[in-house]
Amino acid sequence: MTTLSQASSVSMRAEQTRLERRYAHLGLLLIAPTVLIFSAVIVYPLISAIYMSLFSIFTPTLEGKWVGVDNYVQLLSASEFWWSLLNNLIWTVGTLTLQIVFGIGMALVLHQNIWFRSLARSLILFPYFISTVVAVLVWKWLFNDLYGILNHLMMSAGLIDMPIDYLGDMPNAMISVILVGAWKYFPFVVIAVLARLQSIPDQLYEAAKIDGAGAVARFFDVTLPQLREVLVVIVMLRAIWDFKEFDLIFLLTGGGPIISTQTLPLMVYKEAFALNQLGMASAYAVVMMAIMLFFMIVYIRKTREKSA
Amino acid sequence: MMRRTVFNICAWIVILIVAFPLFWMVVTSLKPQSELFSRPPTFLPATLTLEHYAKLLWETNFLSYFRNSIILSVMTTVVVVGVATLGAFSLVRFKFRGRETLAFLVLFTYLLPSVVLILPLYLMLVRLGLSNTIFSLVIAYTTFALPYALWLLRSFMAGIPEDIESAALVDGASRMEAFRDVILPQLLPGIISTALFTFILSWNEYLYALVLVNSDDTRPLTTGVMNMLISSFNIEWSLLMAASVMMSVPLIIAFAFLQSYLTRGFGAGGVKG
Amino acid sequence: MTNSRSKTPNLTRRGALKGLAVGTAAAALPFGAFAQQKQITLRWWSPQGSPAQVEAYKFQIAKFEALNPGIKVVFEASSDEGYAAQLAAAFSSGQVPDIVTHLPSFSVASYYSKGLVEPFDDVIKAIGADDFYPGANDVFKAPDGRYIGTGIGNSAANMLWLRKDLMQKAGITKAPETWDELRAAAQSMQGGGIYGAPLPYGRNSMTSLVFIGFIHQAGGQVFTPDLQVAIDSPETRKALEFYGSMRKLCPPGAANYSWGESLTAFVSGATATGLYAGRVLANVVKQNPSIADQITCVTYPTISKDVAPWTFNDFPSVFIPAQSKNKEAAKAFAAFLFNPEGYIKQLLAAPGHVLPVLKSIGSNPQYLEDPIIKKYNAEVQLMSSAAAGGFNLGYESKKHKSNAKGGEVVASGAIATLVQRVVLNGDNVDAALSDTAKTIEGIMKS
Repeated sequence: MTTLSQASSVSMRAEQTRLERRYAHLGLLLIAPTVLIFSAVIVYPLISAIYMSLFSIFTPTLEGKWVGVDNYVQLLSASEFWWSLLNNLIWTVGTLTLQIVFGIGMALVLHQNIWFRSLARSLILFPYFISTVVAVLVWKWLFNDLYGILNHLMMSAGLIDMPIDYLGDMPNAMISVILVGAWKYFPFVVIAVLARLQSIPDQLYEAAKIDGAGAVARFFDVTLPQLREVLVVIVMLRAIWDFKEFDLIFLLTGGGPIISTQTLPLMVYKEAFALNQLGMASAYAVVMMAIMLFFMIVYIRKTREKSA
Repeated sequence: MMRRTVFNICAWIVILIVAFPLFWMVVTSLKPQSELFSRPPTFLPATLTLEHYAKLLWETNFLSYFRNSIILSVMTTVVVVGVATLGAFSLVRFKFRGRETLAFLVLFTYLLPSVVLILPLYLMLVRLGLSNTIFSLVIAYTTFALPYALWLLRSFMAGIPEDIESAALVDGASRMEAFRDVILPQLLPGIISTALFTFILSWNEYLYALVLVNSDDTRPLTTGVMNMLISSFNIEWSLLMAASVMMSVPLIIAFAFLQSYLTRGFGAGGVKG
Repeated sequence: MTNSRSKTPNLTRRGALKGLAVGTAAAALPFGAFAQQKQITLRWWSPQGSPAQVEAYKFQIAKFEALNPGIKVVFEASSDEGYAAQLAAAFSSGQVPDIVTHLPSFSVASYYSKGLVEPFDDVIKAIGADDFYPGANDVFKAPDGRYIGTGIGNSAANMLWLRKDLMQKAGITKAPETWDELRAAAQSMQGGGIYGAPLPYGRNSMTSLVFIGFIHQAGGQVFTPDLQVAIDSPETRKALEFYGSMRKLCPPGAANYSWGESLTAFVSGATATGLYAGRVLANVVKQNPSIADQITCVTYPTISKDVAPWTFNDFPSVFIPAQSKNKEAAKAFAAFLFNPEGYIKQLLAAPGHVLPVLKSIGSNPQYLEDPIIKKYNAEVQLMSSAAAGGFNLGYESKKHKSNAKGGEVVASGAIATLVQRVVLNGDNVDAALSDTAKTIEGIMKS
């Protein structure tokens, strides 16, 4: 009796491991296209980039000569690199903060039962959907010195006497870029937060109400902790995207005035295509990735610690 | 009641400020060029005209850019969502060696800026005989769309209870049958949401399109419009605004139909790590 | 930048990258073979792609195709800001256009020095070397004595455009010839929503190119004739000082101006003077006809009457990339571009903007009959003579050696940065100039 059941359980286990192995194979098969595409379009170019960063290369001919880590040495001692990094951080922190704060605020508003709610939602989400090219064109037109409506409105309201140069002066240019970035991307935060808000159980609010918590207290005691998880992810995603944003800044100011809004991605582009120094450009790109990787690991560590 | 009204009015003022650039874009596109140069600017057009739209449609390459953008975005979306759905299924529901590493690598690919990949990628596409084709852009776009789609779908997938799949397996279905019959329907909001995001990303991309494609036959809207209308010889704002409006039309349509999916989809999976 | 290294050419490992790419090349061969066809297709790039011009190009293409069955020509528009990146990608991959037009001569020189451009001597011969205005091809002569391309036209990019009505109103009787007169005139015409001038202070190539003109108008130079960097000079300081003093006479957005904005500002009537080439004529006639009878142009003023005007001519070019697989067809087509009927059509797509390089065209009645050319005959004549004696950074004076790095110096934005630092930021002039000189020296050595 015992031997029989033992035997059957052994065979069952054998059956199970066979199934498991088959499943593992199927799993590998399903992920294979992803891995293939990743290797071809991401890993290979990435390795080339690292390899290229050790050469001095003239972009149009791709003629290169080995310079070892010279590019890196030069780069780290160039003040333009540090300025670009600083701009990159100012831009990222500035626009990200606005996106998060304004995004949460707007999500709370849209979560309420306001008039024409679905129209309101569409209008709010729209900036995220239009292309950066369109957003930049529209804002450049609003900012226009001679015919722009913004200058006109501010002048007729008596706020300013002369048209303001929104994109060619500092700190205006950085502020404008940050604002346009926030305008363009805050709806992403709205979408994600709104979705999460809808799944917070009403009981939590009722319990808080019974405890005598006001609206503000309810936000900090109930809403925010519930949003924490989703915010952790959004902040990381948006931080990464903002850090490597190219189109918006390139099209809006091109990095100017001087290099006041030049971030690292613009620097890479300039080295590669204006100065034709592909090797140097790759070095910039590699350093940029290293910086992002560093921030990401720190961020993941910190947020894990807190939630644990 | 009073408080409600005040809240509503304040909320709508903010909403209208956010939407103002879009309103202004439409208004400008309807003004004749001469009116743009009037100072102070007219708030509503003194004369309404559709000449800019007509000009774009009949006298320029706009429609061919438009067609390219549609083909490009649809192809990218199909490829990326297809591959990512299978990949996410595998990453969430199968156990094999290297799974965790793979998941981390997906995250890492996020960090790669387009400017880094662009030249090696271009060389590769040329070697494959694909340069200057829409397909080359599809390949290029997977570099940023696939990691994102995989990430999104992975969290959606994780939100589907395992028991329903197990139940199907007990009933004798194979893994792939269970995937088709049980998981896919559950995943649909997630797939639609991911598809929408992928579509938007590809519709709006600029840098790859700028460097990788040079012929008017394959250029998408973003670079096509910039190339055609922003030049050293003329800047016609009303034409640009008309182009901007028309570039946004497909997104408005897609959005109008799928808005609920988008928000609901997010709720179902949540944007979880 | 890597100056110690560039002196040791033995270390050079040519084509290090090409090796990297070979791996994928082999796998892809069948595709390439599959695409082979008997029909030859020529790809033609140009950053000058306004709708009227494209129409003229299409006419030329149709004519050429009718005469040469078996050859198809495809026009692909590029842009002033985008062509560098696009060509870089094209050259590095070998997927080059077969013919490129309207790039400034210094860019062609830069590509030629890297072996990317096919010598053009036989095309010039086919067009007829004698028909060119004297000296028109000097700028295209490489150090090795061969021609790297030819001009598809001339342009006088920094003409001073004036409004006669505004001058009259301000009581100005003659066009300014010196900087002081220009500033005074701009000052007195400014007001009532109209600004004095649309000078560019942006971080772009226009600012670099225009300011190079100002350096010369002060009697200075960027390089010495044997190409030593000479930008750090008293003349440049004077130019900076004057350019800075003009800032308050320009619209606030001038800190972002490039060609398009600057042109539109004058054409729309927002500025009393303009700085541009002949396209002003066509745009005014089309977009703001109310001032069409009031505009005229002169060469841009200089610091004093002792310094001769310096006209910036980017010498819009035609060249054939060395990697083109259809060089013979491309050469035939390049020569055909100068066929009177099509060439005149092309020039008249923007009358007065791109000026003819051939004597036979300049006197061709078909060209002269154009209503705009006729109406502004004096202006067109002036621009033609100014452009013929024009220079650019690859060719600063008749004495200068050809400068193959001109393109990179402009693209680096070093000179525009100088303008921005000194004028907009109020940085110390000495520090800014010495930095600029260093940057340019770095580019020359790299």
